[in-house]
Amino acid sequence: MNDRQDEHARLNVTAPPWSYNPSAWRQRIPICLLALVAFVIAAYMALYQWRLIDNVWDPVFGKQSKRVLDSDLAKWMHHLFGVSDAALGALAYLGDAIFGLAGSTRRWQYRPWLVILFGIDVIPLGIVSAVLVFCQATIVGNWCFLCIVTAVISLVLVYMAYDEVWSSLKYLYRVWKATRSSRIVWNALWGFPRRETELVASDMIRKAA
Amino acid sequence: MWARVIEAMLGCWLAISPFIFRMDADDTLLWAVNLVAAATVITCALLSHWPPTRHARYMTALVSLAIIAYGRIAAPSPGPPELQNLILVGLLLLMFSLVPNFASQPPRGWRDVSQLKDVEA
Repeated sequence: MNDRQDEHARLNVTAPPWSYNPSAWRQRIPICLLALVAFVIAAYMALYQWRLIDNVWDPVFGKQSKRVLDSDLAKWMHHLFGVSDAALGALAYLGDAIFGLAGSTRRWQYRPWLVILFGIDVIPLGIVSAVLVFCQATIVGNWCFLCIVTAVISLVLVYMAYDEVWSSLKYLYRVWKATRSSRIVWNALWGFPRRETELVASDMIRKAA
Repeated sequence: MWARVIEAMLGCWLAISPFIFRMDADDTLLWAVNLVAAATVITCALLSHWPPTRHARYMTALVSLAIIAYGRIAAPSPGPPELQNLILVGLLLLMFSLVPNFASQPPRGWRDVSQLKDVEA
C-alpha cells in the first residue's frame, strides 16, 4: 500500500453510531452543491431587493413574491442588519458550502470545532428559513415561491448535515465521560492531539467497524 | 490554501470597490478603509503561505470585523451600496478566515501523531 492509499485508509473511518463515515466527501459534496443552489436562488432575490433587476420570477404565486420581498418585515430586517435579508441568506448558504468543503474526511474527530461551526450555520439557518416562510403567511399575508424552495432546501440540509455534527458531539461527550477533564475536552474540541482523546476515538472506531 | 487564495481575491475586490461604486473623491475615510483593508487582507493571505506567519489569517478576521462594524455604523441603516459592500465582503472574509490553511489535511498535531505511528510501525 503506498503512502496516499495509507493516508486515505487512515482518514476514511466509520464513525459511530453510523455505519459510514459522515465526514466522507460523498456525504459532504452533495450538501455543498445543494447549498450552492440555495445560494444562487437567494442571490437572485437579493438582486431584486437591490433593484438591480425589475422583477422576480414566480410561477406559482405571481406578484406575491414581490410583495414579500418589498414587505415591511423585509425592510425592517434590511434596516436591522444593514444589508437585505436575501443577501444575508445567500451568505449563510455560501457559508454552508465553505464550511462543508473545509476539513479532512476525519474532521469529526480531528476538527470538531469546524463540524460544530458547520452545524451552527446549517441547523439554525434551516429553522430561521422555516420561521420566515411561516411569517410570510401570518404577517405579510403573501407567499413567495423561491423563498419556499430555499426553506425546503434548508430543511433538507439540516437532515443531511446532522449526522456529522452528532458524531463530533458524541466524540466530545465520550472524551468527557472517559476523562472528566474540561481541559482535555477543550483540547479535543480544537483538534489538539492527546493520548486520552486518541484512545477514545480508537475505541469508537473499533466498535463501529 | 484555497481559502487564502479567495481571501486575496476578495482583497482585490475591496481595492477596486471605490471605482466600481464610484465613491465620492472627497470621502477620503471610506477610500482609506477600502484600500487599507484590501492591502492588509492581501498581505495576510500571502503571509499565510510562509510557515512562521501561518497564523496571519487571524488578522484577516480582525480586519473583517472592523469593516463590518464600519459599514454598519458609518451611516444610518440601510447605508449606501458602498457600505453594504463592506458589510458583505467583511462577512465573507470572516467566514474564509476561519478555514485553516491546509484545510483538507488533518491538523498539524494529528499529522505528527500519524507520522510517529508510521515510524514506530
